[in-house]
Amino acid sequence: MRGWHRRGVMALGLAAGTAAAQDAELAASSALEQIKQRGTLKVGVSPTLPPGAMRSKDGEVIGFEADVATRLAEDMGVEVEFVPTVWDGLIPGLLSGTFDVVISVMSMTPARNLTINFTDSYSGTGMFMAANKEVAAGLASAEDFNSADVTLATMRGSTTTTVAQRMMPKATIRQFEDEALMVQEVVNGRAHAFLASAPRPGFEVLANPEKLFLPLEEPLVRSAEAMAVRKGDPDFLNFLNNWIFLRQRDGWLEQRHAYWFDTRDWADQVALQQ
Amino acid sequence: MRDQRAPAAGTDTAAAAPGPDAAPARPPPARARLRLGWLDALIAGLCVLAVAWLAHQVNTRLDYRWDWSVVGAYLVRVDPESGAWRANLLLIGLLTTIRLALWAGLFAAVLGVVLGLCRIADALFLRILARLYVELIRSLPPLVIIFIFYFFISSQIVPLLGIDDFLRGAAPATLQAVNVLMGPPQLVPAFLSAMICLALFEAAYVAEIVRAGIQAIERGQWEAAGSLGLPRRDTMRFVILPQAIQRVVPPLAGQFISLVKDSSIASLISVQELAFMAAQISATTSRIFEVWISASAMYFGLCFGLALLFGRLERRLGRGLR
Repeated sequence: MRGWHRRGVMALGLAAGTAAAQDAELAASSALEQIKQRGTLKVGVSPTLPPGAMRSKDGEVIGFEADVATRLAEDMGVEVEFVPTVWDGLIPGLLSGTFDVVISVMSMTPARNLTINFTDSYSGTGMFMAANKEVAAGLASAEDFNSADVTLATMRGSTTTTVAQRMMPKATIRQFEDEALMVQEVVNGRAHAFLASAPRPGFEVLANPEKLFLPLEEPLVRSAEAMAVRKGDPDFLNFLNNWIFLRQRDGWLEQRHAYWFDTRDWADQVALQQ
Repeated sequence: MRDQRAPAAGTDTAAAAPGPDAAPARPPPARARLRLGWLDALIAGLCVLAVAWLAHQVNTRLDYRWDWSVVGAYLVRVDPESGAWRANLLLIGLLTTIRLALWAGLFAAVLGVVLGLCRIADALFLRILARLYVELIRSLPPLVIIFIFYFFISSQIVPLLGIDDFLRGAAPATLQAVNVLMGPPQLVPAFLSAMICLALFEAAYVAEIVRAGIQAIERGQWEAAGSLGLPRRDTMRFVILPQAIQRVVPPLAGQFISLVKDSSIASLISVQELAFMAAQISATTSRIFEVWISASAMYFGLCFGLALLFGRLERRLGRGLR
């Protein structure tokens, strides 16, 4: 009886020892440690998503997401290094280790979450539509647009496509690689409306007042954008979540979001008229 | 093979000796039409009209406010500190495209010549190997190759080479050299992947051009060299290759120009070349057509310049060897 007891205690101690060693190993292999060692935070971003991420006329990556990444790196005491990537390459690039984190207006979806980890959401917008005044005259709700005569323009590989398919299944959906081309298609009247996150639909209506209008008062869906990291790295995830919590608390995130999404003070940075 | 104005077609030597049915003393018909006739003027006029009509249609149908100032802003910028002019995104993209094409072209040429020689080697194994490679690569679209290569192969190989760590620890002088040769050091891993991928892809086409160029040399040349007692290796070096080179220059030039254009697929794996830069700028500014037309003009300028350059090279080679 005593012998059995002693063996049991020993086994337990051994297990605890290995677990502790594994934990230490896990902590040491965290992206957090690599970033500190390297001195740079590599951020995957697709600078094709104004005003979240875009290219200034000085050639820099700017926008709300760029501000978030820059401040994050600053608070970690390292340099930020943007890796401009095509949208479809963000998750593969993250998985293959090309960058440490994706900060690029990426909304959380269960499908994406199966392959990557998301932090808490640090920003959220609603998805709206902007429609052509001529061809979509009189359409005022998602039900109106859910018709076989309607053509909707969305972005390939983005949530706009899945939302359009779910809420307006009867409409023809045309998927685009480039947001600017998608908008142009609606301005030309070759599609009835496009789906995009705020503030893009509103801005496009302001830019083309005689061609476009906003058919919906309320967003089709509300999105939650989060940073994406590789699976199996609890330390980095914990750090990012707490960083987001703190920057939400002190109002910094809200203030930067308002600057990029509610004003156009930044228009001259991208060589556009306000 | 695209752009195959095949070496076999360049039978200049045959033109010098007219065949039995050639009319003896008639000047070649091309000579007589050096002046432009009324028919030419009519056709040219119709073309201009068609373009003007198309432009008018685009202008009226397409609701679009043109604003070319964006393109200028993204071509060059003024450095706020020194006040000097700096290349901006579009020009940087063009430079990356040129770098990518030059390096890929260089590697493709070396690998392609080796493969081409393997295709006609005596050893069966080499022939099978080269054939397999050429057929495999030629049967896959470049888009598919670059995705497979980048995400499955290069993500394994490039970290193994330790390029990332090497660049982070490198001396400023080394970084300067890397910057000139391959662009910004932090983007070198992606650049290398794209370069290797393009080189592997183009090498298959180069191999076929080289093979066809060598096989287009008349059997008589081999036989004559053999009867003089030249061994096979020397025949190749002194008799066949010098003639083959002259014949493969035009198709190789065409292949290189198509490589410049093919390099735009590197934008899919986020190499910061011209097409990728144009995509970012057009998304940022919503000035789609201005940006893409400018990018097209840059590609055209580059490729047309190369065509002129290769034309001169061809004429010079023709003079030297005839």
